[in-house]
Amino acid sequence: MSNGVTPVAHGDVTQRVGVEVIRARGVDVDKLIKMLIANAAAEFASTYYYYTILRMHLAGHEDYKEICEDARLEDRAHWELIVPRIYELGGELPNDLPTFHNMAGCAAAKLPDPPTAVNILTLLLESERCAIRSWIAICDMTFGKDPRTYDLASRILNEEIEHEAWFIELLAHERDGKSIPSGHFRRGEPGEAPYSKNRGFYNP
Amino acid sequence: MKDSDSFLITLETPKGERSFTCHRNEFIWNAAAHSGISLPAICHQGRCLTCAGRLLAGTVDQSSSNSYFPEDKQAGFVLLCTGRPCSDLRIRTHEQFFMRQHRTKLGLPAPYS
Repeated sequence: MSNGVTPVAHGDVTQRVGVEVIRARGVDVDKLIKMLIANAAAEFASTYYYYTILRMHLAGHEDYKEICEDARLEDRAHWELIVPRIYELGGELPNDLPTFHNMAGCAAAKLPDPPTAVNILTLLLESERCAIRSWIAICDMTFGKDPRTYDLASRILNEEIEHEAWFIELLAHERDGKSIPSGHFRRGEPGEAPYSKNRGFYNP
Repeated sequence: MKDSDSFLITLETPKGERSFTCHRNEFIWNAAAHSGISLPAICHQGRCLTCAGRLLAGTVDQSSSNSYFPEDKQAGFVLLCTGRPCSDLRIRTHEQFFMRQHRTKLGLPAPYS
């Protein structure tokens, strides 16, 4: 009985069973690779902008700086988590950083003008929202068909959803004087990334 | 209901023609969603091109889009997620493939290409 999988010859290194089995289950692998590269580029860019640009301009808001740094390090963890999967699927990153930057599916989180805490937090919030939308698109595309990519994407999605909750809490406080608790903000060391680094996470 | 600050939007979708009104300060994609019309989109920043449409009539304000080039306007492409109407509009939706092709040909950013 055929399971719909393209046969891979014994010892053949030009094809991957790990790719053919998900293709046979209906995954458009070429499209998936493009989406993963776009998401990886956005994670890579955010780890640059969050820290190097935005965090530097949060003077006087040391708590915001710390949370910005958590998000930055976790986005870096996302980048490192997903890049190997791109290569496993037969894709590759462009050998040119500006080209890679232009492939990002989310806007670069450039310093707003004026660079007030409210404007920076708004930018961070919207960046996280783009990340949520981008990763759930990967989850939708792979659910029930490509468990490995789905698992990686859902781990990242878990953290992006937490980041959104952090920035809602901070922006509501800073801009509106309102309390909208994230409900779960608790990290140990900076960049703990409890999901994407596969560590145990706080779950009371 | 259409008032002086609202415009009639007509979309040519793969499932047929749909019409609704959109305020000049509202994004076309959002107004469509409020009218029960489901359109593709991912970033909602005017960046990823998933929501691309082709403008067949009218004028769209794309000043809130992250990446929108004069060449896009010249070729008639619009980004519904961050586009606001400046007049009544007629738009063909689901043009992401063609907009990415257009961007790639010009060497402009085309995420997901």
